[in-house]
Amino acid sequence: MSNILEIEDLSFRYPDSPRMAVVDFDLAVPEGEVVVLAGPSGCGKSTLLRAVNGLIPHMYSGEYKGSVRVGGTNVRESNMRELAQKVGFLFQNPENQIFMFTVERDIAFGLENLGVPRQEMRTRVDESMRLLDIGELALRAPHELSDGQKQRVALAGVLAMRPRLVILDEPTSLLDPKTAAELVGLVARLRKELGTTFVVVEHRLDLLVKVADRMVVMNEGRKVLEGTPEEVLFGEDAESYGVSVPSVTRLQKMLLRDGLVQNRGLMTPAELAGAMDGGPV
Amino acid sequence: MMWLSSGFIFRRGTSRYHRLDPRVKLLISVLMFATTLLVRTLYELAAVLTFMIAVAAIATVLRRVARTMAFTGLFSAFIFILNFIFTRNVETSLLYAARFVAIVVSTSLFFITTSPDELEQVMKTFRLPRDVIFAFVTAVRFIPVMFLDTIQIMDAQKSRGLELEKGNLLRRARNMIPILIPLVVNSVVRSGELAEAMESRAYGSVPRPTSLVEYRASVTDRVVAVAAVVLFALVAYSFYFVLPARIL
Amino acid sequence: MIEFREVTFVHQNGVKALENVSLKIEPGETVAIVGENGAGKTTLVKHVTGLLKPALGTVLVDGEDTTRTSTAQLSRKVGVAFQNPDHQLFSESVEEEMAFGLRNFGFLPELVEQRVTWGLELFGLSEYRKSSPLVLSGGEKKRLTLACILAWDPRVVILDEPTVGQDSIQKEKLAGTIRMLSASGKTVVVVSHDIEFLWPIQPRVVVMKAGKVVGDGPASRLMQDRGLLDSARVAQPQLVEFYDRLGSRPAAPFADPLEARRWIEEGHRS
Repeated sequence: MSNILEIEDLSFRYPDSPRMAVVDFDLAVPEGEVVVLAGPSGCGKSTLLRAVNGLIPHMYSGEYKGSVRVGGTNVRESNMRELAQKVGFLFQNPENQIFMFTVERDIAFGLENLGVPRQEMRTRVDESMRLLDIGELALRAPHELSDGQKQRVALAGVLAMRPRLVILDEPTSLLDPKTAAELVGLVARLRKELGTTFVVVEHRLDLLVKVADRMVVMNEGRKVLEGTPEEVLFGEDAESYGVSVPSVTRLQKMLLRDGLVQNRGLMTPAELAGAMDGGPV
Repeated sequence: MMWLSSGFIFRRGTSRYHRLDPRVKLLISVLMFATTLLVRTLYELAAVLTFMIAVAAIATVLRRVARTMAFTGLFSAFIFILNFIFTRNVETSLLYAARFVAIVVSTSLFFITTSPDELEQVMKTFRLPRDVIFAFVTAVRFIPVMFLDTIQIMDAQKSRGLELEKGNLLRRARNMIPILIPLVVNSVVRSGELAEAMESRAYGSVPRPTSLVEYRASVTDRVVAVAAVVLFALVAYSFYFVLPARIL
Repeated sequence: MIEFREVTFVHQNGVKALENVSLKIEPGETVAIVGENGAGKTTLVKHVTGLLKPALGTVLVDGEDTTRTSTAQLSRKVGVAFQNPDHQLFSESVEEEMAFGLRNFGFLPELVEQRVTWGLELFGLSEYRKSSPLVLSGGEKKRLTLACILAWDPRVVILDEPTVGQDSIQKEKLAGTIRMLSASGKTVVVVSHDIEFLWPIQPRVVVMKAGKVVGDGPASRLMQDRGLLDSARVAQPQLVEFYDRLGSRPAAPFADPLEARRWIEEGHRS
């Protein structure tokens, strides 16, 4: 399994900032993984994401050291046209990434920009809508959609470009818990169906722990923790780095330590209750 | 506010008129506009207005057009008074005032039946620059959003003791500052976010982007267009040559 | 303090945002209003200060009918912190921003100065006194909007989705602030879909669904009711769910979910 994303010794500083936003960052992500990137506000997550999809350095200049390779292509030496077809980016605010007046036109936006012929566009737009289950919304206007629907439309637009890597920047932060869970379920399904790699920045880890293969924690621009979700969340340092460890996981950690529970896989409250010595639920 | 909304904001419709090619709709409105410039008497203007009302009825937008006419009518009372002061002629003044209403209605008819996507298509036909067209479409797409933002901003500031209804004109103008600044700032931030999203979806990669939707003029469209031009020619002829001779 | 009497509110498109809602909030209570997006929580809040007026029924604040006064006047007693700070920050400095509300409510200059200093200290924003509010971080902006409201010392504080977009450190600070407000006798109403955040505060919980109040009672009772929470599309706090499913098994290491939570908090610190 080859690596879809290779970040080596990346450091970046914005022009009018005294400190480095990202420092000596290393990461290798094999294709098909779901990686969660966590850390407190201001730790450099957003900067890192933008260095992966090319907004840094092509839209934002600054002091740049190290390298980022996506699917073998060096981001710095490439251009947005090439990169947009390799890396998709779903932004935090569902509203400010939908441009067109109708849903299907917006999904086609990236393809129109690339000059894709109409027939091919039609196929890809229909495919995206099917994947995200939004076929019935095709002719609606964005202001007629709920936030959850808007995120799906935006994601459909991103997937229409057939990227191998998709980055999601706090996609659920403006959604309510049920809608957020639906979006995460969608990501899991898409990874299975398409084999796309997903890198998700998220605070609400309780939704993602079951889906993610790997968790990376950042603090003040550096990578401070990396491992499977179990390794990171059961570790000693997670909370001190500002990671919101779900309550049930903290409980499970304590129970494991005291030998009241044996299973080391991350569990939901229902599963944990079932695992306690003393009988089935 | 309501006037602007009823007069110029697109709302979906299913009438035959809505389904016409946007270029034909533009043509019809332009011809109506031109006709109002040609009228010389109130009878002619009345005929033109009646025709506009008939078209509005066919397009099932009669209610909105009526409202637009009413609001514009109030405003054109101004024009009437101004004209009367200078010309002392009731008929001419009335003509100018009514003509203003007709001009607004002919323009309004185009905008309320043409979606932003169709507007984009028309702009492309006229070979406007890609960036201009995009800026326009995006601006229209965000009108409802900005409208909601304004309400939310007003709610927030009212909740800090801002009284928007009280005070003289100067006071009320100053009270707009806590509304306008957040609105502008939000728009600027929004532009930044949109720019990132645009770049991320390869905006500007090719000089001539392709289009998902195609607008091809159907036979009906061509027929209607020709009919409109013919009608206009007849009307113009009779207004200009036939009727004045008869009346005078 | 706040009373809803059979209030119904209908949107322009005919949807009933509130249907026959009756609710009383007494002075000094801490109340959480939960429900999914669209259940009517924010609509309810907007009725309290008269931003929306009921189609049927009455809303009373301190005995006064909300249709008889202006929002500005009601806001003197009921401070509402809306979700998005970018919808209200506009002044040249943080100081001016805080003074805005105070001046609107007729506070005299010396008192304005005092209140501004107090508010900035309380929220740890004193160093930004002369800075532009627009350069603050997201978390700092939220603290500023709350500081602005507390400056004029309203008897009731309503927080509309205060945890959206906040990380865990910011949320902890927020929980602390809410506790402080309750302790000082204020009536606090928190509208939120973040049940994990609300639960340790143990407020009175009002559950809303499709414009109706479907549950109203203490957190200890309401959050056990999985059936009710599910039907309202509200999550159950994880530890509560754990206990619920555990039933009355002898293996349970502590008495109840709250004790479990305390154990976790302390266990981590040791």
